[in-house]
Amino acid sequence: MPDIRRILITGANGVLGESTARYFLERDPECHVFLGVRERRDKAQAVVEAYGDRAFLCPLEITSPDSWAETVRQIESLSGPLSVLVNNAGFHDDALLANMSAGQWAGVLDANLNAVFHGCQAALQPMIRQRWGRIVNIASLSALHSPAGQANYAAAKAGVLGLTQSLAKEAARMGITVNAVCPGHIEGALPAGWDDEQIKAVRRNTPMRRFARPEEIAAVVFFLASVEASYMTGASLKLDGALV
Amino acid sequence: MNLRQRIKEVMASELMLEVSVEDIADDSPLFGPNGIGLDSVDALQLVVALEKHFKLKIGDQNKAREILHSVDTIAKAIEEAGLA
Repeated sequence: MPDIRRILITGANGVLGESTARYFLERDPECHVFLGVRERRDKAQAVVEAYGDRAFLCPLEITSPDSWAETVRQIESLSGPLSVLVNNAGFHDDALLANMSAGQWAGVLDANLNAVFHGCQAALQPMIRQRWGRIVNIASLSALHSPAGQANYAAAKAGVLGLTQSLAKEAARMGITVNAVCPGHIEGALPAGWDDEQIKAVRRNTPMRRFARPEEIAAVVFFLASVEASYMTGASLKLDGALV
Repeated sequence: MNLRQRIKEVMASELMLEVSVEDIADDSPLFGPNGIGLDSVDALQLVVALEKHFKLKIGDQNKAREILHSVDTIAKAIEEAGLA
């Protein structure tokens, strides 16, 4: 167990990333949180301003192994070795497979699956040295129920679950756990194209009759990154209000 | 403590070996059925442990195979790098 947890969260400018960063910072007064961002950084910047001495912006190109290596090196020189990685960044670019371009396929696979591979690979070295680490991969309900129009996204996220289980087995004896969460729909992060009728219909079909609040997902990520979650690894947790 | 003994101590503690340090011969293969039976995950840990304890960096995979053959070959690599 490291003296303090150093947590890197990718996609930290998104609803879930920002909420997860705040969750860690509020509940662990010792931790340092590194907010991985690309061009958009207004929400992450607000977190840094609120927790200036423990939150840091981290420009990161998640599809570039070099960028990962540099980020992990910078964290080490600024604060110490990375101990928690939350692979949260990703996006979807939906189309029916018959109409999906090769670019749509490759882009979604690159950002949602290949990036997780690069991130895990970069994070392993400092975690092995510490003989302690927590990797939490944010997958999606789409990995489990593969909706029409999301062949690329569903394949990528299902790949993340496979990667999670394999790496969990490889890293288990080094004190490193690797888990995934599969959130359903999250308030504030609903698909951009949905109109009010679609939102109402999906909410009606969700047994809990509401979408997840981002902090409800963040709470599970927080637990998986904790000391207490020491025997839980290779798991994929479905957080969907019983939708599936 | 001599270098080979230190390497064995590091291996035993970092890899949580079930064999005792005394049972590791300097020239016995570390991997495979005729050796002490390390696997690929142990190899990864060992590379990190050698960097941590002896500052020995092993970047190249083919070179890693040669260096990690036995305690003797690890010691030789550390000595050749001037890190002993």
